[in-house]
Amino acid sequence: MSSSARGFAEAPQLNADVRLSVEQVSYAYSANPTQAPLFTLEATSFQARPGELVAVLGPNASGKSTLLKLIAGTLEPLSGRVLLNGFATHTLPPRTRGQRIAMVQQESPLLFPSRAWEFVLQGRHAHGRSLRFETADDVLIARNALAQVGAEHLSDRWMDQISGGEKQRVILARALAQQPLLLLLDEPTLHLDIGAQVDLLETLRRLAAANRYTVVVVTHDLNLAGQYADLVALFQKGKCLRVGAPATVFHRELLEQVFQTQLTVELASSGRPRVSLPPVP
Amino acid sequence: MRTRFILGAAYAALVSACCIGLCGSAVRAQADTPETHGTSPKATYKEVVDDYGRAVRIPQPVQRIVSLAPSLTETIYALGLQDRLVGDTDYCDYPADAQKKTKVGGTINPNLEQIVALRPDLVLVTKNLNHIETVQALDNLGLASYATDTHTVQGIISSTERLADILGVSEAGASLGADLEHRLADLQQRLSGIPPRRVLFVVWSDPLISVGKDTFIGDALRWAGASSIVESAQDWPQMNLEEVVRLQPEFLVFAAAHGDSVEASFDSLAERPGWRGLDAVRQRHFAIISDAVNRPAPRIVSAIEELARQLHPEAFSGPSEEPADKKPPVSFSRHHNENRDATEICLCVR
Amino acid sequence: MRPLTLSRLAGYCALLGAVLFIVVVIALKMGAVPVSLYGLGHDLIRVAFRQSSQLSTEYQLIIFDIRLPRILLAIFVGASLSVAGSGFQALLRNPLADPYVLGVSSGASVGAILALILETRVALSPAVAVVFTPLGAFLGATLTVSAVYLLGRREGEIDTPTLLLAGVISASFLSAIIMFFMSTLTGGNYHGLAFWMMGDLSTPIQPLLGWILRVGFFVAAGTIYMTATDLNLLLAGEQEAMHLGVDVRRVRVVVYIAASLLTALAVSVSGAIAFVGLLVPHAMRLLFGSDHRVLLPTAALGGAIALVVADTLARTVVSPSEVPVGAMTALAGAPLFLYLLRRRAL
Repeated sequence: MSSSARGFAEAPQLNADVRLSVEQVSYAYSANPTQAPLFTLEATSFQARPGELVAVLGPNASGKSTLLKLIAGTLEPLSGRVLLNGFATHTLPPRTRGQRIAMVQQESPLLFPSRAWEFVLQGRHAHGRSLRFETADDVLIARNALAQVGAEHLSDRWMDQISGGEKQRVILARALAQQPLLLLLDEPTLHLDIGAQVDLLETLRRLAAANRYTVVVVTHDLNLAGQYADLVALFQKGKCLRVGAPATVFHRELLEQVFQTQLTVELASSGRPRVSLPPVP
Repeated sequence: MRTRFILGAAYAALVSACCIGLCGSAVRAQADTPETHGTSPKATYKEVVDDYGRAVRIPQPVQRIVSLAPSLTETIYALGLQDRLVGDTDYCDYPADAQKKTKVGGTINPNLEQIVALRPDLVLVTKNLNHIETVQALDNLGLASYATDTHTVQGIISSTERLADILGVSEAGASLGADLEHRLADLQQRLSGIPPRRVLFVVWSDPLISVGKDTFIGDALRWAGASSIVESAQDWPQMNLEEVVRLQPEFLVFAAAHGDSVEASFDSLAERPGWRGLDAVRQRHFAIISDAVNRPAPRIVSAIEELARQLHPEAFSGPSEEPADKKPPVSFSRHHNENRDATEICLCVR
Repeated sequence: MRPLTLSRLAGYCALLGAVLFIVVVIALKMGAVPVSLYGLGHDLIRVAFRQSSQLSTEYQLIIFDIRLPRILLAIFVGASLSVAGSGFQALLRNPLADPYVLGVSSGASVGAILALILETRVALSPAVAVVFTPLGAFLGATLTVSAVYLLGRREGEIDTPTLLLAGVISASFLSAIIMFFMSTLTGGNYHGLAFWMMGDLSTPIQPLLGWILRVGFFVAAGTIYMTATDLNLLLAGEQEAMHLGVDVRRVRVVVYIAASLLTALAVSVSGAIAFVGLLVPHAMRLLFGSDHRVLLPTAALGGAIALVVADTLARTVVSPSEVPVGAMTALAGAPLFLYLLRRRAL
């Protein structure tokens, strides 16, 4: 976790408190090199500390998923850099990246079914030599991961025989088994009912605090973001409009401009904003 | 640590595979002593060069022969050595006695185990019917093999004589050769001055396949007073029917073991579109000869004579010329010129 | 939760190894010439004690020079095809992938035909002529593999759907070339090549080629095995594998080259034997699970067993003639394929 002997391109940051530093990161994608880019992400910056939960918020096709991939290091930024504990994520070797960054996203359908515990054990792959048998430690960590998401009872079930919500939990457990520094989630609440959504976010908040993860969640759900995030980055069409605490970002005019609909914003007693549709006259 | 264990196990498997291989070659090395081949205790050899250009050591005398081609089987019978023939292929059917010999499979991939079990002194192969891999495999097994390769009728005769020398029956070979030469010379004399008939030798009708000019069949046609319309250097060229119609051969020649079935199929052939464009089909100018023409063996000379009779019957008129086993043609009339638009003429014999 | 342990893996391999041993013993016994098991055991002991001169020599020849090399060939060709099939199925994330899907066998056939045509034009010494066809086949296979690799890339790295398309199209194109050339071959050669293309173990190969096949198998299969856990993760999806710490680029190239090498070696010596590379991995998955650490070795052993059985049947059912072994594997393979399909294992 601390600086290794390998010579990465970046030197550690002076501010040891910041774990994730997104610095002026931009991206452009065009299908044809000669054509104008189909999509761009303009320079974005923010920072996050261990234990914090960041919500990347915005309507569809606003560049949220692209930002997540840039943070994960699987895409190379056009300009700027993403630093995780001082090391640029894009330059990390795959193995190291697997040890530090975990991604939870909509899964491709499994080619051949496996059991939940096998699935979670895959998260241990980045630790240890490539070709090996899992050690007792690995098994313990995997079991703990399942316990932390409340999915221990699913351990022996086949992945193609559990519900969407349960599968989501197992996927999260796999990410936890990686023992990462950074936990990234791409629209995790998409197919979940409200109870499951709340459950998930509560779990994430709890884990972030307990295990000192930095969590970045991409979502378009305003209230979940407002309720659980420490930091919100609001995006529209590839441009980051504002970054800050939910109360500072959730201004009615700004939200109405971004989401193209009438909204009302209330501030709850906890200091967290709540967004709702205006009453029907 | 564990990975190394796995690797170690894998390479242990490699080592054991090597051991099996080494065992095999060690045993073979021990077995590669002259006394272990054939049944003769004395070890005299004859060194000859076969048609592959290989130097072959053949144990003498040759008591047990395996033939891997029908033509070679026939040649052995023609040389009177059938008692020494211990095995032949599934396709060796002439003479009838050859069918009773132990079979070793086909010509392309004969059963090596069966050949080895027969303990032959010599295995005979042909260059164009058998495969070089078979020859190499026989070499690796320590069995002597001799390959023949013939492209002309003369070549067949000289190859037969050479084979006779190798097998220790030079006199039989010489007399057989002389007899065949005599018959060919006789034929040539009869046909001198008569222009050759332009023919198409039909190997297969669908697709239309004929023979090339460098094959022994092509040469046989020439000896029979025929001139093949096929100019191809390929051995079995596929012919374009339009091209054949343009060339208008005078006769179609078929080779078959049974003449009657060919007649029936010829009738159906005549019904097919395109084929009626051929004069030879419309006028039923076809000749059928035995399938001996397909084998580079002494019997091919009989097939040549048969074909010559059918193409040039005028050269064979006269009471003393009628061989005993040939029936007279059903009906025919003399040809002096190209005028053949008269009634249908069937020259099918047998 | 029962993660895989070395002892369980060793147990599975030992089980299949025992089955293979039994199958080999039966195969040694069967053939055109009868061999008794007691006599066989007795003779093997004599060989081990270096008393081989006491053996009947035809017997010796048959067992050690004909049957055993052929069985060994079947073992390594079967193992190569099965491991290559497993590799391609993981690489292309497609359960219908077999070793020939990327055009390797078509390329090998074209190479073999060209070698045959060249052989008739150029006079070669018999020693060279025998290795000429396998050499031509191998060259054809490797050229095809390289071409498909170059065609199957996007932005410099292998793109799986593009690779699959490039392979399928190359295979079709090469098949057309094969048909074109086959019409120019003479009768005996034509028959021989058709036999080879169906998959044929009856032609004994030169010992050197046998060694190359064996060494090549261990090297290539060993290389694929090193990526076994990576392949497990790859099955979950390429993006997911990347996030879990797999160097997807490197693994794809390594597996592609190694699996293609295995296939090229196998096809060069024995033609395109059908179904083994496709079905053995699925059967092994059904029995032992999809973990590649187990799948790869069991597929190798399973492939060896399957091909030895098929080859033994091929050379005994119409003895002394032979059926091409590819016909046997197809006859057995198609019903098995349907069975697996019904069981939804595919």
